[in-house]
Amino acid sequence: MNDQPDATEPLEEEVRDPYLEYGTALAERLGGRAVVEHDTIRIYVDRSNWVETIRRARDEEGLDFFSWLTGIDWSKDVEVGDTVAEPDELEERFEVMCRLSSVEGVAGAHFIAALPKDDAVIDSITGVFGGAEWHEREAHDMFGIEFTGNPNLSPIYLPEGFIGHPLLKSYPLLAREVKPWPGTVDVEDMPPEPEEPAGGGEA
Amino acid sequence: MNEEYRALMHRSEVAVSVELQTQDMTLNIGPQHPSTHGVLRLVAQVDGERISSVEPVIGYMHRGYEKLAEVRTYAQMTALVNRIDWVSGFASEVPFIVAVEKLMGIEPPERAQWIRLILTELFRISSHMVFTSSYPLELGATTPLFHVLRERERVLELIEGMTGGRFHPNFNRVGGIKPAAGGGKTQKKVSMDIPEGWLEATRAAMERVLLSTEQSDTLVTGNELFKARTVGVGVIPGNKAIEYGLSGPNLRASGVPFDLRKHEFHLPYDQVDFNVISAPGGDCYDRYWVRLQEIRESVKIVLQAIDKIPEGPLRAKAPRVLKVPKGQIYVRGENPKGEFGYYLISEGGQKPYRLKIRSTSFSNLSILPWVLKGALVPDLVAVMGSLDFVLGDVDR
Repeated sequence: MNDQPDATEPLEEEVRDPYLEYGTALAERLGGRAVVEHDTIRIYVDRSNWVETIRRARDEEGLDFFSWLTGIDWSKDVEVGDTVAEPDELEERFEVMCRLSSVEGVAGAHFIAALPKDDAVIDSITGVFGGAEWHEREAHDMFGIEFTGNPNLSPIYLPEGFIGHPLLKSYPLLAREVKPWPGTVDVEDMPPEPEEPAGGGEA
Repeated sequence: MNEEYRALMHRSEVAVSVELQTQDMTLNIGPQHPSTHGVLRLVAQVDGERISSVEPVIGYMHRGYEKLAEVRTYAQMTALVNRIDWVSGFASEVPFIVAVEKLMGIEPPERAQWIRLILTELFRISSHMVFTSSYPLELGATTPLFHVLRERERVLELIEGMTGGRFHPNFNRVGGIKPAAGGGKTQKKVSMDIPEGWLEATRAAMERVLLSTEQSDTLVTGNELFKARTVGVGVIPGNKAIEYGLSGPNLRASGVPFDLRKHEFHLPYDQVDFNVISAPGGDCYDRYWVRLQEIRESVKIVLQAIDKIPEGPLRAKAPRVLKVPKGQIYVRGENPKGEFGYYLISEGGQKPYRLKIRSTSFSNLSILPWVLKGALVPDLVAVMGSLDFVLGDVDR
């Protein structure tokens, strides 16, 4: 339903993917590389063009709705959770991702800039979108990414004096260090039965 | 007059001639203040009655859902995501499940989609009724709270009748919905349906909801005291709202008629008829008014959906162990508070590699320092309440 092309129809070859067309054209105009899958447009840009791309997307492409900004930690080794599908081929890096969309229609794209792990610095886009300040603070908390030009890069979620960046793949889930999970509690060996009934019930 | 006395006189004159100096005072509100809806703390610099700057301190409720998502399987996640915004839990379940379904290429049956739509709207009604009941309370009107919450209870009963939970339905499954509560033994196919009489009960409850909106109209909407506290207070112009990523009723009250239900059709919103409510003022009153009207529109949607809901299965076939193919997807939906989305990165395993949760209230709250700058202290509670945030949704 919902006007999705029916896979059994012979027309399928000719059905245009509007997202692919839009994403490719958008990337060409803004000078990036587009990857479109599942109607989700990703545009990879160089970090030196980060602020400029965001500004042009807002001014020239009408993507003026600042939706969110976050980071991604691409790591070969993970402390908790699943690893990437092919760890050997992965280039370890941070990605800063910002979603802009429009308040007129479905148009929207995710702009991504890759940062090397040992130099996780990128220019702040707070000058373009005031709302980005909190999102950049969050990414700073969670990944340790520095945003040059953010007026107030203080911790937003983490308490003062907190050590580490929780969303890094190298960061352990502390609750699990204390108590293994999942399901381990249920299958834990029962304590050995005492030889004689402990009798009485005195605590 | 002796010298000593003369000197004293002189000193007092000096003291009087010095101009009165005012100093900015730091006013700390919260984190346990009732008007903050949870554990929000505001550190305000006040100059007399004016707020010169305000700094929200959040994170008291940060539960680390994005990290937890990386160690939970997809099936375990629905129980978590409906706790992000607990006033509208079901509405935040849907985009996540749809994201997983799209990555796996599973299409839920139509009946399940319509039930998702009805429940989303019921949660929207419930969430907006929390607002229309508690917002006048924050401004000093106690009566609307009881009238509105009484009718909201009927909506919660419906939700409980269907899902078994009043706040945390955990009702979505990849491929559809789970067998409804009270549906009898789940092995029997016939009983794996919505409870008997539920649709009729919904129709009856919707009438009560409409009555309560009329009560709100008579008690609150035209009330002079309410208007005096809200009209022209906390004005957010449309372009600022967009810049800060405000969405939902907050955005629409600023004159931007944008509603994701008219654009994203992973639920069959294209087959129901409803209006997008917006107001031009951008003040607290408009934000209240938009939500009140949206309750009526939601009732309209629910009533249409009851007529249109098709027969059929509730769940498509899905593997027992969910392995999601590698891919990245963003799915967003119109939560009662605005755009709620999930950016899901799967690397082919049983758990997400990364799940970014675009929670609505975080962006909606981020405008608070801007809008409160220069406001009066008594307006602080009015402005804060009108943004209708939930702290669980802010902190995640």
